[in-house]
Amino acid sequence: MNFKEFQNQSRLYVIGALEAEELEKFEKARKKFGKKAEDYIGECYGLHEAFALSLRPAKASAAIKERLMAMVRTRKEA
Amino acid sequence: MGRSKLISSHRKPRKHAHLPKSRAQTVSVAPQLEPGAPSDLELMNRIQAEDADALSQLYDRYNGILKALILRVIHNEAEADDLLQEIFMEIWNQAKNFSSQKGKPLGWMVTLARRRAIDGLRKKQAYARAEERLQNETEQQPDAWIHNATEEEIVLSDTRDLIRKVIEGLPPAQQQAIDLAFFRGMSQREIAAKTNTPLGTVKTRLELGLKKIYDGLKELRGEL
Repeated sequence: MNFKEFQNQSRLYVIGALEAEELEKFEKARKKFGKKAEDYIGECYGLHEAFALSLRPAKASAAIKERLMAMVRTRKEA
Repeated sequence: MGRSKLISSHRKPRKHAHLPKSRAQTVSVAPQLEPGAPSDLELMNRIQAEDADALSQLYDRYNGILKALILRVIHNEAEADDLLQEIFMEIWNQAKNFSSQKGKPLGWMVTLARRRAIDGLRKKQAYARAEERLQNETEQQPDAWIHNATEEEIVLSDTRDLIRKVIEGLPPAQQQAIDLAFFRGMSQREIAAKTNTPLGTVKTRLELGLKKIYDGLKELRGEL
Protein backbone atom coordinates (compact mmCIF):
# COMPACT_ATOMS: atom_id res chain seq x y z
CA MET A 1 0.00 0.00 0.00
CA ASN A 2 1.47 3.38 -0.96
CA PHE A 3 0.80 6.51 1.07
CA LYS A 4 -1.94 7.77 -1.23
CA GLU A 5 -3.82 4.51 -0.81
CA PHE A 6 -3.19 4.74 2.92
CA GLN A 7 -4.77 8.20 2.94
CA ASN A 8 -7.87 6.84 1.20
CA GLN A 9 -8.13 4.03 3.71
CA SER A 10 -7.56 6.39 6.64
CA ARG A 11 -10.73 8.30 5.86
CA LEU A 12 -12.69 5.05 5.88
CA TYR A 13 -10.90 3.92 9.02
CA VAL A 14 -11.90 6.93 11.12
CA ILE A 15 -15.57 6.37 10.39
CA GLY A 16 -15.24 2.65 11.12
CA ALA A 17 -15.99 1.59 7.56
CA LEU A 18 -13.01 -0.65 6.87
CA GLU A 19 -13.79 -4.34 6.51
CA ALA A 20 -11.76 -6.80 8.62
CA GLU A 21 -9.42 -7.82 5.81
CA GLU A 22 -8.79 -4.18 4.90
CA LEU A 23 -8.15 -3.30 8.52
CA GLU A 24 -5.31 -5.82 8.70
CA LYS A 25 -3.55 -4.31 5.68
CA PHE A 26 -4.25 -0.82 6.99
CA GLU A 27 -2.60 -1.56 10.35
CA LYS A 28 0.49 -2.92 8.57
CA ALA A 29 0.73 0.23 6.47
CA ARG A 30 0.15 2.34 9.55
CA LYS A 31 3.20 0.80 11.18
CA LYS A 32 5.22 1.20 7.99
CA PHE A 33 4.45 4.93 7.62
CA GLY A 34 4.88 5.68 11.33
CA LYS A 35 4.43 9.28 12.48
CA LYS A 36 3.33 10.45 9.04
CA ALA A 37 0.50 7.93 9.25
CA GLU A 38 -0.51 8.92 12.79
CA ASP A 39 -0.56 12.60 11.84
CA TYR A 40 -2.76 11.90 8.85
CA ILE A 41 -5.20 9.76 10.83
CA GLY A 42 -5.38 12.56 13.41
CA GLU A 43 -6.34 14.99 10.64
CA CYS A 44 -9.01 12.63 9.37
CA TYR A 45 -10.75 12.66 12.75
CA GLY A 46 -11.66 16.24 11.86
CA LEU A 47 -14.34 14.60 9.71
CA HIS A 48 -16.16 13.55 12.87
CA GLU A 49 -16.27 17.12 14.06
CA ALA A 50 -17.52 18.30 10.68
CA PHE A 51 -20.32 15.74 10.45
CA ALA A 52 -21.53 16.71 13.91
CA LEU A 53 -21.36 20.41 13.07
CA SER A 54 -23.40 19.81 9.92
CA LEU A 55 -26.43 18.99 12.10
CA ARG A 56 -28.84 21.52 13.52
CA PRO A 57 -28.24 21.57 17.31
CA ALA A 58 -30.93 19.84 19.34
CA LYS A 59 -32.21 21.18 22.62
CA ALA A 60 -31.48 19.02 25.66
CA SER A 61 -33.84 18.85 28.60
CA ALA A 62 -32.91 21.40 31.29
CA ALA A 63 -32.91 18.67 33.91
CA ILE A 64 -30.01 16.91 32.19
CA LYS A 65 -27.47 19.57 33.09
CA GLU A 66 -28.69 19.73 36.68
CA ARG A 67 -28.36 15.96 37.04
CA LEU A 68 -24.95 16.01 35.39
CA MET A 69 -23.56 18.74 37.64
CA ALA A 70 -25.02 17.06 40.73
CA MET A 71 -23.24 13.83 39.75
CA VAL A 72 -19.99 15.72 39.20
CA ARG A 73 -20.24 17.38 42.61
CA THR A 74 -20.93 14.02 44.24
CA ARG A 75 -17.97 12.48 42.44
CA LYS A 76 -15.68 15.32 43.55
CA GLU A 77 -16.77 15.01 47.16
CA ALA A 78 -16.32 11.23 47.22
CA MET B 1 -33.15 6.17 2.06
CA GLY B 2 -33.22 8.78 -0.63
CA ARG B 3 -31.52 12.10 -0.18
CA SER B 4 -28.91 11.91 2.51
CA LYS B 5 -29.76 12.55 6.13
CA LEU B 6 -26.44 14.31 6.51
CA ILE B 7 -28.48 17.29 5.43
CA SER B 8 -31.31 17.70 7.88
CA SER B 9 -32.40 21.28 7.23
CA HIS B 10 -34.14 23.00 4.39
CA ARG B 11 -32.50 26.31 5.26
CA LYS B 12 -30.99 27.96 2.27
CA PRO B 13 -27.22 28.27 2.75
CA ARG B 14 -25.95 31.83 2.93
CA LYS B 15 -23.85 33.06 0.11
CA HIS B 16 -20.17 33.28 0.83
CA ALA B 17 -17.21 34.66 -0.95
CA HIS B 18 -15.06 32.32 -3.01
CA LEU B 19 -13.20 29.63 -1.15
CA PRO B 20 -9.62 30.49 -0.30
CA LYS B 21 -6.94 28.85 -2.40
CA SER B 22 -4.56 28.22 0.47
CA ARG B 23 -4.49 24.72 1.90
CA ALA B 24 -4.86 24.44 5.64
CA GLN B 25 -3.01 21.83 7.67
CA THR B 26 -6.01 20.03 9.17
CA VAL B 27 -9.66 19.57 8.37
CA SER B 28 -10.84 20.87 11.74
CA VAL B 29 -13.65 23.37 11.34
CA ALA B 30 -14.41 24.29 14.95
CA PRO B 31 -16.89 27.16 15.33
CA GLN B 32 -15.73 30.63 16.29
CA LEU B 33 -16.09 31.71 19.91
CA GLU B 34 -17.22 35.00 21.39
CA PRO B 35 -14.30 37.35 22.11
CA GLY B 36 -12.88 36.66 25.57
CA ALA B 37 -14.51 33.25 25.88
CA PRO B 38 -12.17 30.47 27.01
CA SER B 39 -11.08 28.16 24.22
CA ASP B 40 -12.17 24.54 24.20
CA LEU B 41 -8.63 23.54 25.05
CA GLU B 42 -8.56 25.87 28.06
CA LEU B 43 -11.82 24.34 29.26
CA MET B 44 -10.46 20.83 28.78
CA ASN B 45 -7.32 21.72 30.74
CA ARG B 46 -9.51 23.01 33.56
CA ILE B 47 -11.68 19.87 33.44
CA GLN B 48 -8.51 17.81 33.71
CA ALA B 49 -7.86 19.78 36.92
CA GLU B 50 -11.41 18.85 38.06
CA ASP B 51 -12.92 22.30 37.61
CA ALA B 52 -16.68 21.60 37.45
CA ASP B 53 -17.44 25.11 36.17
CA ALA B 54 -15.37 24.36 33.06
CA LEU B 55 -17.50 21.27 32.39
CA SER B 56 -20.59 23.41 32.82
CA GLN B 57 -19.29 25.86 30.19
CA LEU B 58 -18.33 23.07 27.81
CA TYR B 59 -21.80 21.59 28.26
CA ASP B 60 -23.45 24.92 27.45
CA ARG B 61 -21.28 25.26 24.36
CA TYR B 62 -21.73 21.80 22.87
CA ASN B 63 -24.73 20.01 24.33
CA GLY B 64 -26.84 20.94 21.30
CA ILE B 65 -24.33 19.58 18.80
CA LEU B 66 -23.73 16.36 20.71
CA LYS B 67 -27.41 15.78 21.28
CA ALA B 68 -28.11 16.29 17.57
CA LEU B 69 -25.46 13.70 16.79
CA ILE B 70 -26.89 11.22 19.30
CA LEU B 71 -30.41 11.79 17.96
CA ARG B 72 -29.22 11.11 14.42
CA VAL B 73 -28.04 7.72 15.61
CA ILE B 74 -30.73 6.57 18.02
CA HIS B 75 -33.80 8.61 17.03
CA ASN B 76 -35.27 8.76 20.51
CA GLU B 77 -35.51 12.04 22.44
CA ALA B 78 -35.54 10.64 25.99
CA GLU B 79 -32.78 8.12 25.31
CA ALA B 80 -30.72 10.85 23.66
CA ASP B 81 -31.01 13.02 26.78
CA ASP B 82 -29.92 10.16 29.01
CA LEU B 83 -27.03 9.32 26.74
CA LEU B 84 -26.00 12.97 26.56
CA GLN B 85 -25.74 13.07 30.33
CA GLU B 86 -23.69 9.85 30.36
CA ILE B 87 -21.38 11.21 27.67
CA PHE B 88 -20.65 14.44 29.54
CA MET B 89 -20.01 12.36 32.65
CA GLU B 90 -17.58 10.28 30.60
CA ILE B 91 -15.94 13.49 29.36
CA TRP B 92 -15.46 14.45 33.01
CA ASN B 93 -14.14 11.00 33.95
CA GLN B 94 -11.96 10.50 30.86
CA ALA B 95 -10.63 14.05 30.51
CA LYS B 96 -7.20 12.92 31.71
CA ASN B 97 -6.95 10.74 28.60
CA PHE B 98 -7.45 13.69 26.27
CA SER B 99 -4.30 14.87 24.54
CA SER B 100 -4.27 18.04 22.46
CA GLN B 101 -1.49 16.50 20.37
CA LYS B 102 -3.94 13.93 19.02
CA GLY B 103 -6.71 16.32 18.13
CA LYS B 104 -9.10 19.02 19.22
CA PRO B 105 -11.49 18.74 22.18
CA LEU B 106 -14.60 18.89 20.01
CA GLY B 107 -13.33 16.12 17.75
CA TRP B 108 -12.56 14.00 20.81
CA MET B 109 -16.01 14.61 22.27
CA VAL B 110 -17.78 13.87 18.99
CA THR B 111 -15.83 10.65 18.53
CA LEU B 112 -16.72 9.60 22.06
CA ALA B 113 -20.39 10.53 21.63
CA ARG B 114 -20.70 8.75 18.29
CA ARG B 115 -19.15 5.58 19.67
CA ARG B 116 -21.43 5.59 22.70
CA ALA B 117 -24.50 6.28 20.59
CA ILE B 118 -23.73 3.50 18.10
CA ASP B 119 -22.90 1.09 20.94
CA GLY B 120 -26.22 1.95 22.55
CA LEU B 121 -28.06 1.35 19.32
CA ARG B 122 -26.43 -2.04 18.85
CA LYS B 123 -26.91 -3.13 22.45
CA LYS B 124 -30.61 -2.54 22.28
CA GLN B 125 -30.82 -4.23 18.89
CA ALA B 126 -33.04 -1.34 17.99
CA TYR B 127 -32.28 -1.10 14.31
CA ALA B 128 -35.81 -1.89 13.27
CA ARG B 129 -37.36 0.56 15.69
CA ALA B 130 -34.90 3.30 14.74
CA GLU B 131 -35.67 2.62 11.10
CA GLU B 132 -39.33 3.28 11.72
CA ARG B 133 -38.61 6.50 13.60
CA LEU B 134 -36.17 7.58 10.93
CA GLN B 135 -38.93 7.15 8.39
CA ASN B 136 -41.30 9.24 10.51
CA GLU B 137 -38.70 11.94 10.99
CA THR B 138 -37.97 12.06 7.31
CA GLU B 139 -41.54 13.14 6.84
CA GLN B 140 -41.47 15.64 9.71
CA GLN B 141 -38.04 17.24 9.46
CA PRO B 142 -36.75 19.81 9.80
CA ASP B 143 -39.47 21.44 11.89
CA ALA B 144 -39.37 18.82 14.63
CA TRP B 145 -35.89 19.93 15.69
CA ILE B 146 -36.36 23.66 15.36
CA HIS B 147 -36.26 25.68 18.54
CA ASN B 148 -35.37 29.23 19.45
CA ALA B 149 -31.77 29.79 18.51
CA THR B 150 -29.36 31.05 21.12
CA GLU B 151 -26.53 33.44 20.24
CA GLU B 152 -24.12 30.52 20.34
CA GLU B 153 -26.20 28.61 17.83
CA ILE B 154 -26.31 31.60 15.51
CA VAL B 155 -22.51 31.68 15.54
CA LEU B 156 -22.56 27.94 14.85
CA SER B 157 -24.98 28.30 11.97
CA ASP B 158 -22.33 29.88 9.75
CA THR B 159 -20.10 26.88 10.28
CA ARG B 160 -23.01 24.56 9.66
CA ASP B 161 -23.96 26.26 6.42
CA LEU B 162 -20.40 26.07 5.14
CA ILE B 163 -20.04 22.39 5.99
CA ARG B 164 -23.39 21.64 4.38
CA LYS B 165 -22.26 23.33 1.20
CA VAL B 166 -19.44 20.83 1.02
CA ILE B 167 -21.69 17.85 1.79
CA GLU B 168 -24.44 18.98 -0.55
CA GLY B 169 -21.89 19.03 -3.34
CA LEU B 170 -21.70 15.24 -3.25
CA PRO B 171 -23.90 12.99 -5.36
CA PRO B 172 -26.79 11.62 -3.22
CA ALA B 173 -25.47 8.05 -3.41
CA GLN B 174 -22.16 9.14 -1.87
CA GLN B 175 -23.95 11.11 0.84
CA GLN B 176 -26.11 8.10 1.63
CA ALA B 177 -23.14 5.73 1.92
CA ILE B 178 -21.33 8.12 4.27
CA ASP B 179 -24.47 8.72 6.27
CA LEU B 180 -25.02 5.01 6.84
CA ALA B 181 -21.38 4.46 7.78
CA PHE B 182 -20.99 7.45 10.07
CA PHE B 183 -24.39 7.83 11.71
CA ARG B 184 -25.49 4.19 11.68
CA GLY B 185 -22.12 2.56 12.18
CA MET B 186 -22.65 0.25 9.21
CA SER B 187 -19.85 -1.68 7.53
CA GLN B 188 -19.41 -1.61 3.77
CA ARG B 189 -21.08 -5.00 3.51
CA GLU B 190 -24.05 -3.85 5.58
CA ILE B 191 -24.41 -0.76 3.41
CA ALA B 192 -24.21 -2.90 0.27
CA ALA B 193 -26.96 -5.18 1.59
CA LYS B 194 -29.16 -2.33 2.76
CA THR B 195 -28.90 -0.37 -0.47
CA ASN B 196 -28.79 -3.41 -2.76
CA THR B 197 -25.55 -2.13 -4.24
CA PRO B 198 -22.37 -4.07 -5.17
CA LEU B 199 -19.74 -3.96 -2.43
CA GLY B 200 -17.15 -2.42 -4.76
CA THR B 201 -19.53 0.40 -5.61
CA VAL B 202 -20.13 1.12 -1.94
CA LYS B 203 -16.38 1.26 -1.33
CA THR B 204 -15.90 3.64 -4.25
CA ARG B 205 -18.74 5.88 -3.07
CA LEU B 206 -17.28 6.08 0.42
CA GLU B 207 -13.76 6.76 -0.81
CA LEU B 208 -14.77 9.43 -3.30
CA GLY B 209 -17.28 11.09 -0.98
CA LEU B 210 -14.96 11.24 2.00
CA LYS B 211 -12.10 12.58 -0.11
CA LYS B 212 -14.29 15.36 -1.48
CA ILE B 213 -15.49 16.28 1.99
CA TYR B 214 -11.97 16.14 3.40
CA ASP B 215 -10.59 18.35 0.63
CA GLY B 216 -13.57 20.70 0.84
CA LEU B 217 -13.19 21.13 4.58
CA LYS B 218 -9.51 21.94 4.25
CA GLU B 219 -10.45 24.77 1.94
CA LEU B 220 -13.31 25.95 4.11
CA ARG B 221 -11.15 26.12 7.18
CA GLY B 222 -9.60 29.36 6.06
CA GLU B 223 -13.02 30.92 5.82
CA LEU B 224 -14.06 30.19 9.43
